[in-house]
Amino acid sequence: MSLEILLAIAYGGAFLTYFSGKISQGLRDGAAVLLSLGTVLIVSSFYNVPAASVLYEGFLGLSLVLRMNSLAWFFAIAIVSFNALCVIYSLAYMKDRNEKDYYYFMLLLINAAMLTIVLSGDLVTFFIAWEIMSWATFLLISYNRNGALQAGIKYIVLSLIGSMCMLIGILSVYTSFNTLNISELSGQLTTASAGYKLFLLIIFSITFGIKNAVMPLHTWLPDAYTESPTPFSAVLSGMLTRMGVYGFLVILFGIVGIKSVLTLGSGFISYTKTMAWLGAITIVIPTFIAMLQNDAKKLLAWHGIGQGGYMILGIAFGTSLGMAGGIFHTLNHAIYIVLLFLSVGAVEYSTSGIRDLNSLGGLFKKMPIAFLGGFLGISGLIGVPLTNGFVSKWLIYKTLILENAPFLAFAALLGTWGTILSVYKFLHNLYLGQIPEKHKNIKKTPLAMQVPIVILSFAIILFGIMPGLPLKVINSINVAFGFSPLDVNLWGVVSEAGTLNMLNIFTALIVFGAIVWGIFRISRPATLTDQYDNYAAGAAIPKDKYHYTVEYYAPFYRMVKPFLKDIFDLLYQKVARANDFLCDNIRKIYTGYVGNYVMYIVFFMAFLIFIQLKWSVF
Amino acid sequence: MNEIMNLNPVLLIAVPIGLAMLVPILGLMSSKIVKWVPVVGFLFNSVVSLAVLPRVLNQPIIVKIAGFAPPFGINLVAGPVGMFLAALIAVSGFLVAVYSLDYIHEGAAEKYHILFLLLLSGATGVVLTGDIFNLFVFFEILCISSYALVAYLGNRSGIEAAVKYLIQGAIGSSLLLIGIGLLYGQFGTLNMADLAQNITSFSEPSVFVPMILMVTGLGIEAAIFPLNAWLPDAHSSAPSSISAVLSGIAIEVGLYAVIRVVFTICHVTGSFFVFLVAIAVVTVLIGEMSAFGQKNIKRMLAYSSIGQIGLILFAFSLATEFGVSGGLFQMLSHTLGKVLLFLSAGYMIYRTGSMEISSFEGVGKKMPWTALFFTIGTLSIIGLPPFAGFSSKFLIIKAALAKGDLLYILLMGIVLLGTVIEGTYFFRVVQVIYFKESNNKTEPEGPPVSGLISMSVFAILVVLIGLFPNAILKILTTAASELLNNLEYIRSVLG
Amino acid sequence: MNIVALIVSPLIALITGLFFLGLSRKISARIHWRYGPPVYQPFIDVMRAFSQKSITHGNFFDFGIILSLTGTIVLVLFLPIGGLWALNTGGLIMFLYLMLLGPFGIALSGAAAANPNSSIGISRNFLLALAYEVPLLLILLAVMTDYNTISLVEIVEKQAATGMAISSWRLVIPGIAYFLILPAILGLRPFEITGAVQEIASGPIAEFGGKHMAFYTLQHALQTFVGIALFVDIFLGGGTLFGLLNSLAGTVWVDILEIFIFLLKMVLVLFIGLFVNAVYPRFRIEQAMQYLWKWPTLIAFVGLVIVAIIN
Repeated sequence: MSLEILLAIAYGGAFLTYFSGKISQGLRDGAAVLLSLGTVLIVSSFYNVPAASVLYEGFLGLSLVLRMNSLAWFFAIAIVSFNALCVIYSLAYMKDRNEKDYYYFMLLLINAAMLTIVLSGDLVTFFIAWEIMSWATFLLISYNRNGALQAGIKYIVLSLIGSMCMLIGILSVYTSFNTLNISELSGQLTTASAGYKLFLLIIFSITFGIKNAVMPLHTWLPDAYTESPTPFSAVLSGMLTRMGVYGFLVILFGIVGIKSVLTLGSGFISYTKTMAWLGAITIVIPTFIAMLQNDAKKLLAWHGIGQGGYMILGIAFGTSLGMAGGIFHTLNHAIYIVLLFLSVGAVEYSTSGIRDLNSLGGLFKKMPIAFLGGFLGISGLIGVPLTNGFVSKWLIYKTLILENAPFLAFAALLGTWGTILSVYKFLHNLYLGQIPEKHKNIKKTPLAMQVPIVILSFAIILFGIMPGLPLKVINSINVAFGFSPLDVNLWGVVSEAGTLNMLNIFTALIVFGAIVWGIFRISRPATLTDQYDNYAAGAAIPKDKYHYTVEYYAPFYRMVKPFLKDIFDLLYQKVARANDFLCDNIRKIYTGYVGNYVMYIVFFMAFLIFIQLKWSVF
Repeated sequence: MNEIMNLNPVLLIAVPIGLAMLVPILGLMSSKIVKWVPVVGFLFNSVVSLAVLPRVLNQPIIVKIAGFAPPFGINLVAGPVGMFLAALIAVSGFLVAVYSLDYIHEGAAEKYHILFLLLLSGATGVVLTGDIFNLFVFFEILCISSYALVAYLGNRSGIEAAVKYLIQGAIGSSLLLIGIGLLYGQFGTLNMADLAQNITSFSEPSVFVPMILMVTGLGIEAAIFPLNAWLPDAHSSAPSSISAVLSGIAIEVGLYAVIRVVFTICHVTGSFFVFLVAIAVVTVLIGEMSAFGQKNIKRMLAYSSIGQIGLILFAFSLATEFGVSGGLFQMLSHTLGKVLLFLSAGYMIYRTGSMEISSFEGVGKKMPWTALFFTIGTLSIIGLPPFAGFSSKFLIIKAALAKGDLLYILLMGIVLLGTVIEGTYFFRVVQVIYFKESNNKTEPEGPPVSGLISMSVFAILVVLIGLFPNAILKILTTAASELLNNLEYIRSVLG
Repeated sequence: MNIVALIVSPLIALITGLFFLGLSRKISARIHWRYGPPVYQPFIDVMRAFSQKSITHGNFFDFGIILSLTGTIVLVLFLPIGGLWALNTGGLIMFLYLMLLGPFGIALSGAAAANPNSSIGISRNFLLALAYEVPLLLILLAVMTDYNTISLVEIVEKQAATGMAISSWRLVIPGIAYFLILPAILGLRPFEITGAVQEIASGPIAEFGGKHMAFYTLQHALQTFVGIALFVDIFLGGGTLFGLLNSLAGTVWVDILEIFIFLLKMVLVLFIGLFVNAVYPRFRIEQAMQYLWKWPTLIAFVGLVIVAIIN
């Protein structure tokens, strides 16, 4: 199986799905599921099989190259797997929506574009796929109409700015080195001057920073995540946003080379330090803003930004431990955030579209599977030990402490504690507490939604207890980038300074859990009581209105709300308004009075002739 | 095939003009047959120009009119640039003519077809001629037919726009004529190659003043800022098929003429190009920013054309091989993209009865194909892969960076900022078309077959050229070297 | 050693923790000129609770409290009690994360009970935790940076070699900060906001009765133990005492004596902590947060800056 065939299936699959939808709905659904599962199978068959092929010789004098290596495989398998899960999930979620052909087409097209990005062996292929991904994403974000339109515009404007930066970067590399092949470049760029490298890094950092929503370039993300159809929010949050991380990896370590990157700058002001601090800011502020959100998806979206900061923090230090942490966190984050979005989607589905955290509650008995997803999802997001999020965060913290960056570590840890508060609110307000009367007979979660949730829940636990599985692949990425591999085994990290062994923790928790549970069982059995049979210190409990959700952390909100504005969003909106104003006035050059126009012409001509005759400037 | 290849390029001008003369006579016989005349004419032109194009890449064809060798007689120079643009004009003319079959069904259809033929044959003449006065003549044919076509709908705004256009166009023509006269007085020749041979330095006042007169005169048609004030009114008042031709072809022909004067005749070097780059950047920015707030789709597209012209001028003014070939490529992708946009907007306006963007709500459902074509045009004009606009923008940016000068990088940054603005307003329209539900429940009705065929061919070309830009790369580089190397041009014309 | 610790540590912690709960009630009472309950009262309470009837709100309600107690027991395994420690993997970072499981489990249980009073209490509990975590993180980072390790055991071992951390001028500032936040960690006056009996019917534990209450008390006892023991381990050198035990090195007595020294140090810390804080009235949650984010945080921050500069 060659890489071209993989891409042909990915792109062809999108079109095939679209046209089969014109024949029958069932056929389209079947095609979408089979094709996305097919790509998962094909990509997995490339495990440890490096491959390279020329896609197309001579695009404006360049050849478009594909290649498969450990880095590409790691991202590719994640992309196609999440895509397949989201497609399966969509079968139920999108059931009553219109224009499903279009929806599946775009979903699969975006999947194909992301796959191309990670498989591309040269920067032109990379850029082309990147752009296809960008505009297709725009077209899918806007799918929900209404508020989604504004979100889409916000996304595409920032995305275009990023693309233009990348285009400049790519072409400047091309003019300097006359090649865009990533592997050829990695050797050549070492000879470039420090200033040029810095220019490249900054320009690419803008692009990838926008995609990965690094502060202050994050403003597209909250709206985009919130307004998209939920399965697509999952795709968006899972791997699409993390294409930014992939980009950072390629440019920092694949092209410029870590040795050069680390030498850029001196003392406190250096490229890596700046990136790390931006990462730290990206962790803290969005995490606390998340706490203020009342829309379940928006809350997750802000965490999506915050968690991206951990990845940046991990890779910014350029040590093998940090790299492993950053890359592993990318995967882990994708797993739990996709799971959380799917869990919210299940609630939306069952309650006909409600995701306001203030009007739900007590759903855990009605939707156990969605609740399981939500519970394990937030555990992963917090990084509770035995879930996947813990391991990668541990690697990152350890990097920071060993690299003597305690303040960055503080920011990262503080972010985690902020996370606990907001995701607990998320879980509590959706699933725990009292269930409102009107939600007592809600729709059941369909099987097509349950399956992805269960699979992802399992993955969270699996990678939490056996982090060695993905770390093995990450190790080979590290080796490919020229880092020393970590000493990992199935259960964790066995390195010189502090070890991590999830088996110990797992055993300890299981053994003591069993003991505690045993004692619990042999004690007097408890009687099951209804939710209204509550102790309220003598006060009567009013039915259906007794759930503490609104302003869940009210005292805290009062304290921090003035400080937690998204100032960058406000700033950009101001810029946008200024631009509107400016554009409106620029147009007034065309006054509509022909006399003025003639004056322009005469003035233009006279000016040129005058300056030439007077000063001979030309 | 060989016979077609050996056909005389003069037919490219003679046949459409001849057919234009024939239209009134045919109109007496049958009014149905008239609308097929431009289709036939430009089909012929397309076939001929595409067939001749490979031949001129090796050796330009010099046609001597009435047997006098240059510089004494009027001659046509069918070089790579000329034939490339002639082919572009012919193919787009053919497709727009097909589109017009059903689109133009009211008003003085006969006159429309005559003027349409004249406009494009004038354009073909401008790009093929080797004689500067001849260029003026063809230019006048082009301009006068456009004035008339702008006023075609006969409504108030159309006539007003046409008059404004006429005033500015007339000033431009006079300036051009004065410039030509001044050169003729000095050098005693009107042949472009001969002029080029005689002019040693463009910066001497005796050459500089006529050059500026010509550049200003032609620049009005080319819509270079600040000479472009006629454009938004004129382009938005004409019927959509004409707007398409004006935006997609007429202004590019104007720009071609400017470039010919600057590169070939005067052989400009150095800081004048910096000035042109600056003007180009301002043109981009003004065009895109003016388009940003537009609520009228045709005005928006017209302003966007100003921005695109700025980009093309920017590319040419870099005066490098990459730059010029990028500029020619951008001409191609702008023509395809903008004509596609105007044509699809034409039917959207026709069906919704309004030029307001907000009235396009729900068009995506009612006219799925038209909406799709509009979207493809949009993506190509913005310069997103995998469409034609990307490849051309790629070449232009590469050319600017290859200059290696910080100034050019900064200026290009501004141009790209223009692209961001452009993307924003185009994507807003796309959203309105697809993602806003309309209130009025009219029956969905797509465009007629002729329109669909025409637009789909444009769309396919946009995609194909985007995917396989290499197919035309050779033409572009040959053409670029013709423009950059005026000694080559002189030698091939004068022998 | 590890196997012994696996069994002994939780037992020591449970007994000490319950004893401390009794002791703190007794001391507070005496400060208030009351007689107070006997020191062994918590043991009686637990026994009684086990024998009582209880109600449940479903499996998740039970799961939460089991998770909470289990998590806290595992947490204890990380603390070197003298020379006793069962687990070291993951170091202080793992420890910090496991500290979550206790409150998190209670929170899940309380929320599953569907009692709004529980929810209010949990919200306060988390806010209080956030409030004291900020200085606590700074403190722990200062210690980890100074000793350049994330392992708790190594920190204790290094103190055995160089003397108590609190006696080193670099770490005395974080030590003071820890002392200031200790009552918040233990949920003692003036920080007993979470389970305010009068306002929100004991908060998270409003629905707990019988065995649930017993489990909660055990968890609370362990939590108290952990809060103090962590201080003793990272600042007071764990079970070491100025090298006095060096003469006995190699015998089993060292281990036993070290445990006793460790416990004595804990009692000392508890006493001082109680005397300092028992006179305050209860804070409101905003006041608590403002207090914790003002002085303790500032002091801890200064401490971390000093440590970071020196390294």
